Amino acid sequence: MRFFRRPAGRAGLVGALLAMAVVTLLVSVPVPSRASPISQPSTARPEAGTTWTVTWNNVDVTTASAASSALGIDFTSSANVLFNWSTGTSATETVGSAQLQMFYFGFAVTTRTQTVNNPVASSSGSIPLSWTPLSIAYVLEGVYKITASFLAPNQTTLFSENFYVRANALLGFVAAIPIVLLLIAIYEVYALVRSGRYAALGRKLAGSPPSSPPPSSPPGDSTPPTEAPEAETPPPGGSS
Amino acid sequence: MSATSHGAACGVVLGIVIVIFLQQVAYLDLSDLVPALEYLILGIIVGGVIGAGIGFVLGRSYLARHELKQTPASK
Repeated sequence: MRFFRRPAGRAGLVGALLAMAVVTLLVSVPVPSRASPISQPSTARPEAGTTWTVTWNNVDVTTASAASSALGIDFTSSANVLFNWSTGTSATETVGSAQLQMFYFGFAVTTRTQTVNNPVASSSGSIPLSWTPLSIAYVLEGVYKITASFLAPNQTTLFSENFYVRANALLGFVAAIPIVLLLIAIYEVYALVRSGRYAALGRKLAGSPPSSPPPSSPPGDSTPPTEAPEAETPPPGGSS
Repeated sequence: MSATSHGAACGVVLGIVIVIFLQQVAYLDLSDLVPALEYLILGIIVGGVIGAGIGFVLGRSYLARHELKQTPASK
């Protein structure tokens, strides 16, 4: 009885996955447009001509403005990020804090903020920020977008810069998600190779049920069915 | 028929897994939501179609082999 329900449950799972993907697409598409002001100058008006620079371990982050030129980093070692600004004139700017945000699927998976105590208006300044993303070092690796932002004391964005980092896991591969993904992929390939056995179930459903004997034969029966053991043995489930 | 649907289900999961794995090995950028979802949906569709094809072929092959075994027993 169990193996008759299994294909229907798998088809339902596929339908549920597709429905979830469509619902996620429909519901979440406006989210980046709401989150995008982080990467755009917002209501705060910085002085015109102000120079904003962000360096990551003494490397200007503007050199990593594309995923193909991402900065190679190690999640387990700390990064020294320096936020500098200079108006170039006698005009002043008040920077309340500096912020780093790392994005994954459009959402900030980690945020690091360095707040200036009693910020004062000045024509230039710098905010050092030390960041050790050790909490995600054993979970994630790969290419990520990071947004470095200068925030005013009222938390509005004065300036922000997007850049990319390519994070390496411990020993190059010891992160939880890639290992789990590899195990899932191996299992699914195995299930896919064995999926031919489900054809017997489909044939049994579409075939002649009256001619097939009911499976409730006593255990001491001396006439085993010829194909029942192979057909009734369900292949391993693929995606459950 | 059920082999086809089983293959499609395996292919869908494989499509999702491969897309996320490619990001983890730095071949894809999934930082922004919309291209990430596009990659995932593309992986779901391509994986589902390829998996369904593989399941269909394997199902036919299994049935053919099974009928060959059954023929001498029926005579």
